[in-house]
Amino acid sequence: MLLSLNWLREFVPYGGTGEELGDKLTMAGLELDGLSRPYEALRPIVVGHVIACGRHPEADKLSVCRVDVGDEVLDIVCGAPNVAEGQKVAVVKVGVTLPNGLTVKKAKLRGAPSHGMICSEFELGLSEEHNGIMVLDPAAPVGVSLLEQLGLDDEVLDISVTPNRGDCLSVLGFAREVSALTGLPLGIPPLGRVGRVGRGSGQLDFGGIENFESGAPAAKSIELQVLDPELCPLYLARIIEGASTRRSPDWLRFRLQGVGLRSLSNLVDVTNYILMELGQPLHAFDLDQIRGGRVLVRGADPGERLVTLDGQERELLPSDITIRDAEGAICLGGVMGGLNSEITAQSTGVFLESAVFHPSHIRRTARRLSLNSEASYRFERGVDQSGAEFALNRAAVLMAGVSGASIRPGVLRDEARPFKAPLISLRKARAEALLGVPLDASFCETTLKALGCELRPGASAAASGAAAGALPGDSPSGPCDAEAAWDVKPPSWRSDLTREADLVEEVARVYGVDRIPAVLPAISRSLDRAAGGESLFDFLSRVKHWGRGAGLHEAVAYSFVSHRDLDQLGVAGGPDSGRISIMNPLSDELNVLRTHLAPGLLQTLRNNLAQGAASVRIFEVASVFLADATSETTAREIPHLGIILHGNRFERGWPQPEGDLDYLDLKGIVEHFAQAFALPEPVFSQSAMDASLPWLAPCVDIVCNGVRLGLAGRVKARLADPFHARKAVWLAEIDLAAARELHRGVRPRFCPLPVFPPVRRDITFITPISLQAGAISEAILALRVPILSSVRLIDCFEPENKAERKLTFRLTFRHAQRTLKDSEADRQRDHIAQSLETQLGIKV
Amino acid sequence: MNLIAELERLAPSLQSGLARASSLSELEALHIDFLGRKGALARLMSRLPELSPGERPAFGKAANAVKEELTALVERRRSMLVAEAEESALARFDPSLPGRRPWTGSLHPITLVMEEICRLFNELGFETISGPEVETDFHNFEALNFPRDHPARDMQDTLFVSDGIVMRTHTSPMQVRSMLERKAPPLAVIAPGKVYRRDSDITHTPMFHQIEGLLVDKNISLAHLRGTLTLFLRRLFGSELKVRFRPSFFPFTEPSVEVDISCILCSGTGRRPSEQGGYDESCRICKSTGWLEILGCGMIDPAVFAHVGFDEQCTGFAFGLGVERVAMLKYGIGDLRMFFEGDLRFLRQFV
Repeated sequence: MLLSLNWLREFVPYGGTGEELGDKLTMAGLELDGLSRPYEALRPIVVGHVIACGRHPEADKLSVCRVDVGDEVLDIVCGAPNVAEGQKVAVVKVGVTLPNGLTVKKAKLRGAPSHGMICSEFELGLSEEHNGIMVLDPAAPVGVSLLEQLGLDDEVLDISVTPNRGDCLSVLGFAREVSALTGLPLGIPPLGRVGRVGRGSGQLDFGGIENFESGAPAAKSIELQVLDPELCPLYLARIIEGASTRRSPDWLRFRLQGVGLRSLSNLVDVTNYILMELGQPLHAFDLDQIRGGRVLVRGADPGERLVTLDGQERELLPSDITIRDAEGAICLGGVMGGLNSEITAQSTGVFLESAVFHPSHIRRTARRLSLNSEASYRFERGVDQSGAEFALNRAAVLMAGVSGASIRPGVLRDEARPFKAPLISLRKARAEALLGVPLDASFCETTLKALGCELRPGASAAASGAAAGALPGDSPSGPCDAEAAWDVKPPSWRSDLTREADLVEEVARVYGVDRIPAVLPAISRSLDRAAGGESLFDFLSRVKHWGRGAGLHEAVAYSFVSHRDLDQLGVAGGPDSGRISIMNPLSDELNVLRTHLAPGLLQTLRNNLAQGAASVRIFEVASVFLADATSETTAREIPHLGIILHGNRFERGWPQPEGDLDYLDLKGIVEHFAQAFALPEPVFSQSAMDASLPWLAPCVDIVCNGVRLGLAGRVKARLADPFHARKAVWLAEIDLAAARELHRGVRPRFCPLPVFPPVRRDITFITPISLQAGAISEAILALRVPILSSVRLIDCFEPENKAERKLTFRLTFRHAQRTLKDSEADRQRDHIAQSLETQLGIKV
Repeated sequence: MNLIAELERLAPSLQSGLARASSLSELEALHIDFLGRKGALARLMSRLPELSPGERPAFGKAANAVKEELTALVERRRSMLVAEAEESALARFDPSLPGRRPWTGSLHPITLVMEEICRLFNELGFETISGPEVETDFHNFEALNFPRDHPARDMQDTLFVSDGIVMRTHTSPMQVRSMLERKAPPLAVIAPGKVYRRDSDITHTPMFHQIEGLLVDKNISLAHLRGTLTLFLRRLFGSELKVRFRPSFFPFTEPSVEVDISCILCSGTGRRPSEQGGYDESCRICKSTGWLEILGCGMIDPAVFAHVGFDEQCTGFAFGLGVERVAMLKYGIGDLRMFFEGDLRFLRQFV
């Protein structure tokens, strides 16, 4: 909201600077976003008097003028057709920069020297008018700044108004606030008076309605009826006749432009002036276009259509508020007028509306049709029902005053739901309990009264004070004061004040929330919660710390990816099955929640490869999302750990061995994870589920104690290619919900250390390549040799181009009660060797 | 007494040999030549039978003396050579060669900040909780006193999953979830997590992180909120930090407060020391105001208590903090988008 300080001063005699006011408002909850002087560029431009004006000897269209600017007389060549001797004009001297950035220089035009420039409104940035120079008031004193002459020396505050403070979307609203905060008196100007709008012009006063009244009462011409009071608690209107549409006077145009509104025409500008000043949106209809002498307010008919002011045909719903004449809709109430009743340059009669519409209906309509306007913005936030009539009358007088019109006597009125203020009880003790500071009863009273509330002592003070838990011993004025309570009626413009807590906030705001002291609370905890296990956050936190310790870098990617990403990976399901789509995505790149971490990790890989990273080891811990009709949120969120490896095993090379990250690195990391969280030894086997995870080959299932923990594998080269990966991309995804479940089941128990020494025997098998090493160790363990304590593969030799390889296993034998003899170990080794030869047909 | 004479020649002979020996292997060769099983001494000893029984004791005694002498000579030379070898090895040792470094990893700055904050609140007695990122309209808005068709909803541009299901726009639904679950005070929880808004520009990403804090009990006041936040912000940013309270509006708190901290770059002066000494015109980070907005908070609105079935006479405070904002201030990160690009050059900096 842009607030003009000059305009504000017409309502409250605030003497400080804009910055001081901004600070004050910020600390009262109305935050200053910016401060500007919209017309500052006019300061060095001065009023000049054209004392002579003659035709340029060399050019028909140029005039040579002598212009008195107070301290000197300048020769200026002017191209405007309307320049004439005796005029007061705006002069830009040499060296001065115009609002459009142009700096005026000494010049010669067709031989005639020119020492300045006489400006048009366009050049001054005041309007689009560029057909001639701006001619000023003949009484304007020579040499004064144009800023002062036009009364535009103003500061404009840009204040962000929170959604609860619809009452502050106007000069009047801020004036009330400033008055309450400073104690300065609030003075609402008489109906027809607008403030100082130029040097020496004093205050402009059009007087009262009676000055303009003429003709038959308005009710004789138009019959008004609100058919749905829910939609429109109050509808007021006046009829204005004999208006001529023209450009608005300077005071009106410049004031609107100063707060960012474009001047259109006198009639429309007045409605905007009132909107900005009093916060009441008005609508002006062309009286002659209202058919049948009737105006009705109700919801639209189903399927009804209306062409709005912007030329668009809108299909309406019964929840849309329509203003209608005898034949149909002529306006989308509170949102936008209809083209069929628009004010045009030819309009002379105006049906001027000042109404209150239901906020949520306005909001629904404005949002559905993307028609947000200054009017709908205010209706959504609530306008002051009690102020609507003053706004209507002021608008009518100003309109008549600037357009030469007359006003038909009487206000057309249908107040189906008169405003009724709620009665709120406020207990001082409750306020003190909420704020943590002792309050003075008289301060509370003064504050609320200053904000426009009506107060009377409350009845149930004593009882409620005790219930609220009054602070002990902090009452400044004895027990009576501690029990102070009031019944409070908030003012009509504060629709946000409905409960005790709202009033407490008002007291706190004026008291100054920054004056509230810092006190540490005692935090009580209930025993049943305190004994709870590790939180999910803490578990995931430990996983992240494990990842860092394991030498991986943690990345965080968006939870959304595109359906295309998932399709490319061949993830099962589509927009309608399994996946959760975003209805209103920011872009097609972010239109679905990820079902796997893989797409994000691949994207991260691509970003890093683009930066020339030679070694990538990244992990992410985040939730994946699957549609689940049984869930309250329609989603199942499963925390995953994703790991991606690519490129050199060691980023720094020598003295570390060279080599690329491969499956054994990935598997080792997963095993390390399982070990770090004391999970049962995971089993890795080539997945039969390849069909559902078609982006990995090989695709390895990781299973712990029969629980599927995740998968690992190599991203298919065809899929890795678009991510610019030249080397193998290894990827693992671990289901952390499953891991956490397994981890919780682990009860660490001490296992006594072995007393007797082990005996080790190595055994080398020559095996077909197709036989997995895991199958051999499983077969060995399956023999259940009692003294065999472990089997470990210690060497794997694969000659090139051979169908066989050599696998060396180390067998560790140990007896719990005695030292083993070598011969016992040898016997068992031979037993194992022979058994495997016969079972698996492999050579030793 | 040839043999004794020969015996006595051994020591000078070994001495000259040792003097020429420049390595331990040469020394070992000499050791074997003179003292080995088939060495010079052993060969002389093997000729013992040539001597008469009367000469034998004297020869034996001499031989033992020679053996000791030879052994001593070898050992002396050995220790010299070992010392030389150690010395030369030390001279060749280069401690500046690169180490065989194991992999080092890193934690994301968002993780670091979230954990630091949660740990801090855990110490105060708050319990960390987590909840869904896909959320119902009820938990995300309705129960937090954002009625449908209310302009307060404009404060948070929402991503919808379907009608009535949204990507949570803040961590505040965890207030509702925790109170519904707990059914009655006391309650002290902290809820970190991802949140989503339909917003993307230089200062907004569609996903970011928040931490929600909630304390409900009897007689919790705004002063307690200020105390808790002052403690927390000072622990995070330094004990000199000033904390400012300013009224604001959130539908789910009443009164609502915006919290500012004194600018951590210019210490609240609004001006920064320039490189030339003196002061720059203005502080870039706080735009010369001396204050930085850091979080929103307030006393829980009675409407929220009503929605979760808590007695409206209980009191409590809630606050919500943007994690990225804190991380940016704490680490001096200028560009929000860096958090989500996964650039290793960025990630590696946060170990």
